[in-house]
Amino acid sequence: MLDLVWLIPALPLAGFALILLFGRRLGDPKAGYLATLMCSAAFVVTVGIYFDLLSKPSEERQHVYRLFSWVPVGSLKVDLSFLVDPLSITMCLFVTGVGALIHLYAIGYMHGDPRFSKFFLYLNLFALSMLLLVLGENMLVTFLGWEGVGTCSYLLISFWHERATAATAGKKAFITNRVGDWGFMLAMFFAFQATGTLSYIGINGAASTMAQTTATAIALFAFIGAVGKSAQLPLYLWLPDAMEGPTPVSALIHAATMVTAGVFLMCRISPVLNAASSYAPNLIAIIGVVTALFAATIAVAQNDIKRVLAYSTVSQLGYMFLAVGSGAYTAAIFHMITHAFFKALLFLGSGAVIHNMHHEQDMRRMGALRKLMPVTAATFIVGWLAIAGVPPFAGFWSKDDILLAAYDKSPVLWALGLITALLTAYYMTRQVIMVFYGEARWHDAHEEHGAHGDFEPHESPTIMLIPLVVLAVLSVIGGVINLPFNATTERLTSWLEPVLGVHESDTAKLPFALIAVAIALLGIAASIMIYSKHKAKPVEPEFLAEGWYYDAAVSGFMGGPGRAGFNAIAWFDANIVDGAVNGIAHVVRGTAQRIRTVQSGNVRNYAAAIGVGVVLLLAWFVIVRGSR
Amino acid sequence: MIAAGLDFVGPSINWFALSPMLVLFGAAMVLLVAGGLFPRWPPHVYALFTAAAGLASMILCFFLWDNITDGGAALLVGNALRFDVFTMIVTITISGALVLVAFVTDDYLRREQLEGPEVYALYMLAAVGAIVMGSANDLIVLFLGLEIMSIAFYVMSASHRRRIESQESGIKYFILGGFSSAFFLYGIAMVYGSAGTTNFTKIVDYFNNNIPGVRHDAFVLAGVALLLVGLGFKTASVPFHFWTPDVYQGAPTPVTSFMASVGKVAAFAAMLRVLIYALPHWHEDYRPMVWALAVLTVVVGSVMAVVQTDVKRMLAYSSVSHAGFVLVGVEAAAHTAGQPDAGDGIPSALLYLLLYSALVVGTFAVVTMVGRTGDAATDLSAFRGLSKSHPGLAIAMTVLLLAQAGVPLTSGFVAKFGVIQAAVEVHSYALAIIAMVASVIAAFLYLRIMVSMWITEPESTDAARESIRVPAWTAVALTLSVGFTLAIGFYPTWLINATKAAVAIP
Amino acid sequence: MTSFPILTSLVLVPAVGALLVALFSNRRPEWVKLTAVLASALTAALSIWVVVAFDKSNADFQFVSLHTWIKPWGISWHLGVDGISLFLVLLTGVLSPLVIAGTDPHHDQKRYLAWLLMLEAGLMGSFISLDLFLFFVFFEIVLVPMYFLIAGWGYEGRIYAATKFFLFTMAGSAVMLVGIVATAIIAKGSGPLTFDLVELAKADFAPSTGRWLFFALAIAFAVKVPIFPLHTWLPDAHTQAPTGGSVILAGVMLKLGTYGLLRFGVYLFPEAARWSRSLWLTLAVIGIIYGAITATMQKDLKRLVAYSSVAHLGFIVLGIFAMTTQSLAGGVMQNINHGVSTGALFFLVGMIYERRHTRQIADLKGLQTIAPIFAAAFMVVMLSSIGVPGLNGFVGEYLVLIGSFLTARWWAVLAATGVILAALYLLWAYQRVFHGEPDDANKGFAELKAREAAVLLPLIGVIVFTGVYPKPMLDRIEPSVKRLIEHVSDKTTYVEPQPVGVTP
Repeated sequence: MLDLVWLIPALPLAGFALILLFGRRLGDPKAGYLATLMCSAAFVVTVGIYFDLLSKPSEERQHVYRLFSWVPVGSLKVDLSFLVDPLSITMCLFVTGVGALIHLYAIGYMHGDPRFSKFFLYLNLFALSMLLLVLGENMLVTFLGWEGVGTCSYLLISFWHERATAATAGKKAFITNRVGDWGFMLAMFFAFQATGTLSYIGINGAASTMAQTTATAIALFAFIGAVGKSAQLPLYLWLPDAMEGPTPVSALIHAATMVTAGVFLMCRISPVLNAASSYAPNLIAIIGVVTALFAATIAVAQNDIKRVLAYSTVSQLGYMFLAVGSGAYTAAIFHMITHAFFKALLFLGSGAVIHNMHHEQDMRRMGALRKLMPVTAATFIVGWLAIAGVPPFAGFWSKDDILLAAYDKSPVLWALGLITALLTAYYMTRQVIMVFYGEARWHDAHEEHGAHGDFEPHESPTIMLIPLVVLAVLSVIGGVINLPFNATTERLTSWLEPVLGVHESDTAKLPFALIAVAIALLGIAASIMIYSKHKAKPVEPEFLAEGWYYDAAVSGFMGGPGRAGFNAIAWFDANIVDGAVNGIAHVVRGTAQRIRTVQSGNVRNYAAAIGVGVVLLLAWFVIVRGSR
Repeated sequence: MIAAGLDFVGPSINWFALSPMLVLFGAAMVLLVAGGLFPRWPPHVYALFTAAAGLASMILCFFLWDNITDGGAALLVGNALRFDVFTMIVTITISGALVLVAFVTDDYLRREQLEGPEVYALYMLAAVGAIVMGSANDLIVLFLGLEIMSIAFYVMSASHRRRIESQESGIKYFILGGFSSAFFLYGIAMVYGSAGTTNFTKIVDYFNNNIPGVRHDAFVLAGVALLLVGLGFKTASVPFHFWTPDVYQGAPTPVTSFMASVGKVAAFAAMLRVLIYALPHWHEDYRPMVWALAVLTVVVGSVMAVVQTDVKRMLAYSSVSHAGFVLVGVEAAAHTAGQPDAGDGIPSALLYLLLYSALVVGTFAVVTMVGRTGDAATDLSAFRGLSKSHPGLAIAMTVLLLAQAGVPLTSGFVAKFGVIQAAVEVHSYALAIIAMVASVIAAFLYLRIMVSMWITEPESTDAARESIRVPAWTAVALTLSVGFTLAIGFYPTWLINATKAAVAIP
Repeated sequence: MTSFPILTSLVLVPAVGALLVALFSNRRPEWVKLTAVLASALTAALSIWVVVAFDKSNADFQFVSLHTWIKPWGISWHLGVDGISLFLVLLTGVLSPLVIAGTDPHHDQKRYLAWLLMLEAGLMGSFISLDLFLFFVFFEIVLVPMYFLIAGWGYEGRIYAATKFFLFTMAGSAVMLVGIVATAIIAKGSGPLTFDLVELAKADFAPSTGRWLFFALAIAFAVKVPIFPLHTWLPDAHTQAPTGGSVILAGVMLKLGTYGLLRFGVYLFPEAARWSRSLWLTLAVIGIIYGAITATMQKDLKRLVAYSSVAHLGFIVLGIFAMTTQSLAGGVMQNINHGVSTGALFFLVGMIYERRHTRQIADLKGLQTIAPIFAAAFMVVMLSSIGVPGLNGFVGEYLVLIGSFLTARWWAVLAATGVILAALYLLWAYQRVFHGEPDDANKGFAELKAREAAVLLPLIGVIVFTGVYPKPMLDRIEPSVKRLIEHVSDKTTYVEPQPVGVTP
């Protein structure tokens, strides 16, 4: 069964190829069904491999499947091969699983779009890349997927490229990611120089023996890559803009799967990170928690339904890096999974709302939608409770793990994480209230929109609701994969142990759990007081709405000094460098013109010139040579 | 007794060895006499007659060449002339050029209604003079040849009765030529004064014996300097080149081509004879000056060419820069002057001269045709749209220009490569690089002509121009020249070997 | 050498084709075209045959044909291919028919085709000559057809561009010629004069001498590559040349520079190459970053692509002078990759020009909406040029970087930023040209035609195949590259460093 691993990426690839060839003929909705089928098939295969792997003793749960030799030059031998182990399969499971659901949802969401089949073409290509990323046996294959998902996200963000904002957002995403890729590449170079290989087994194996500085270098450069991909400070900028893409894309790429690639990478090379000097993990933890808090504060003041979720994603990813930095890799993966469930759910929910509000995204023009779209509302609320960290929903368990690990690292980190949790509960509640409760603010809204006559938001088609329901269920029970009661209930931990090891902790869990719950409830309560009961004025300061003006500052620099600098260099090229070349030509002409005046056609001058020549020659021969 | 003292014993003369010169001289006489005594022959007969004479002297050279390869070099007419491969190459080059130019001239004269045998006679007399210069073994004899050639040139360049420019150029050339000849004569006098002889062999012997005494004798050195002036003038080396553009432009185009080929060959042959064969002892003294002349000539020639608008003037300057390249070869020869292994200097220079003559005659043949009646249209614009109206002509001209620019697979490249190699052989890298870079500047001018032939669209005024005629014989000459250019470009081996023989056989 | 002289025919077939085309009368254009296509197609077939018959286990020169040419100067007709030149031959062979069949001159088709074929012959010759003189002959002769192609069939500023190109490159080769002659003469010592590369490579030059000679040769190659600051002929030439000219110029001709540096610079003067490496590495990195930045700011789409070449070629130079198996193999491969993808880009830009008669980015808008397939083709080529894994561009660049990292760490680190910039200028241009709502001027933009697709498809095929499965190519390149490094190690103290835990 393990040798069928190639099928996992092969199926989306087949889907991609088929749609590429026959996409137009299949059209809407057949192309969508085909893509979904392929993704689900991949899921089925993954499940099969999962159980096969489960049936083996834990130390044998590692299998390399080699397709062919990819880039072999001298000492560099890179194969296109897959590494089947608990980590990669775990990733595959939720990538294909959640992926399939979102594919299904998209069939409904994208219905009627002129470029329907193209959308699924990209979606399958993305699935393929993402699976290569997680299945890669060496850093280069991962990088192949890494860049692949980046490209797909570029294509999908600017899917509606007629909108200038969408086109720009796509470009921004790609370029920002490239900054990270630079780090990833250097990490590979360091790894290659230090170990002579790029395969994870080789690198991780050598981690214990390699120089600490090397390990640190690898870890930190890889982290730069992760920062780019997983939208952490200072490179998170592209993610909020990425919301320009169709919502299924936001759910799949910018919430559930791609953005978690960075976390995955850090877990993949965790032995190297462990071997690195201590400031490396510290840095990661700090960046993680700061990003988490930073993004949460911004989310508080957003009015665009998707931007709230976007910033919340950034914030949640921050949590995962906090976990990585604290050495609790399992916790990171655990949160990654639960987050995939509830964040995908929330995005799809918001998508449903947007879809049925005729692409209205401003929450101030919504409200009271729960009656009109009960299912959407219900599932969205589940997602809300999950992300807010209310037990027994999935989010609670994973977030709790992380906070615990953070405390072991440093109480400060824990405290910051806690504040973030508070804010998270707060802004998510705010969103739920603004969208689904309160009075309906969309009638008047639509007059000024001048949109097609009298309209009434309505529930989505079933095909969009099924994924919502499934994801809702997962968001409720998702926690069971890793309940912190005893070794047997910590299934995920023991399952991932061969790859990630375990994070030893002797801190008593219960009090922290209680504090976390209290904080969550506090946040919810506060939000209700303000937005529902209107007991107090909302605090939504401008600088938070503007994301601390960070984005403005950066783009201001790029558009201002940055651009000016580029122009200066272009000017230098056109005028100085090329000027020099043309200058030579001018000099030649100039001298010629000057000499020309001697060539007067006047015999006297010519004779004079000859005379000069004679004098000079005589001077040389008689005086210079003769006097020696 | 007394009677015995009275009767004069002339030197024994190997008449056959002199046959090329004699043929040309005789032919010239015949033309003059015939032109005077008999009714006019049909015009092209003169040309064919001249060509035949040239061809004859060429063929004779090949026989003589064999004699030399078998019997070695010799001195003729009381050591006045050298009979060696050097002489043969010079003679062949000159005769070949004569043949081609004769073809071109025939059509030219008819177009200009200047029929008459005189020009041809002058051609052949000039050729004789040139051959004498190239084979002289005595300064006086050399001067004789130089004057024979020059006087013929003065007359020829003024020979277009209806073109004032022609007259003017004749006068200019005459005055300046006389001026420089005077210097040359002075130089001879001074050398004679110190060596007591004008014969190369004797000069060399004399200095061999008492070089320490005269090593720094200002008298000899001044002589060398003045000889260099005279030769510099004839070779049109900067700063003695000023006459070239005016004369080349003014003279009838075929005459120009004759001067650019035969004139240059003879002048450089003379320079080599004087510097390398007669004055090897002073090579350390004159080499730096040759170096300087070479640099000046190649640079000024190329640079000045860039700003010209008249094609004949352009080619005049380009001929100056080519002279610079030959000087590079001379400079290389100067390094090894007097040594048993003469090096590649002389062969490369001869090779260059030979190839350049063939090139330049062809080039001017095209200019002659494009120039139209009265050499009126030698401006760059006259070449506009030539590729449309006369593609064949345009292609031929392009090949010749590329060759002048030294593009590979043409004889021009072989020539340049030869001199550069000779220069590098004696480690004068700087000169080699300067020359090559200058040739890049010069390339610009050839590009300009090509652009106006191929790219520039004809303008309305061009329609008014008299249409270009391509007469048969000129076409033949052109074809020969182009064919030779390409043939040597692809397979120069035999020619290289031939020129190497010039120094190989003592 | 009794076997079929395949390399010689690689040169002769296009040359003869050119002659035939030139001889045909203008009244039978279809015959002219047919002859040209057949000649180039035959050459392509031959070049493919060479690759197929190439023995990849053999690092030495293969299909050698050696005949005396100019005996007194020790010059011979010496041809041969090894892993370094093999794919350049293939590239030349394959690109030319595409250009000949895929582009139409706006006038004088006959002469245009004749020049193109002559150009192909010259390029082929330069890549397979193993005699310095012979190489120089071809290296120089290609200027003529290219000059006429640019000056005759180019755009508004064509004459200026063509002249600049001709003189700039000729100035370089002027010095090189002296260098070549000096090399041969100094190397000969008392022995016979020879210009044979293999013979000369055995010679040992005194460091000072070798360095002078090396630079005399390198200057010409530096101009061709082009290496900053000798690059300014390139944007003009590329922009003004007709599509076919640009494709060959960027696709093949620039490679004469990098190839020359490798084959004649490094191979003949290892000591000098090692001694001056930091200069070259620095210039290469400058080229990568500087070229990219300048490209970003171009308003003319074709000019932008031209500057991108400066950046891409920088990677190759980096790889050459970093001198590890990976970096060299990567550099050699990048030669081909750049040829394919930039060639394709120039084709595409040419197609845009044919439709809109403008190259100004500002005049173009929203083409993706009207011509999605065209846009898709452009996208793939662009991604390959950006260096996205899975496409050819990545493999070369990556190998160069990872190889350079071993010997020239900080240069590699800087060069890697070029990857970011590449994305910047290409994506920005793509957005401005293809994204957005098309305005009226661009409404009528025609979708990719069958013939255009036929031209692009093979290129895109190569782009994808080489990206996914570069092994066949690398297998053939590696031995020769290894041999070159051994040669360098023999002549100098250089020892190729290996990563930890790897024994060479």
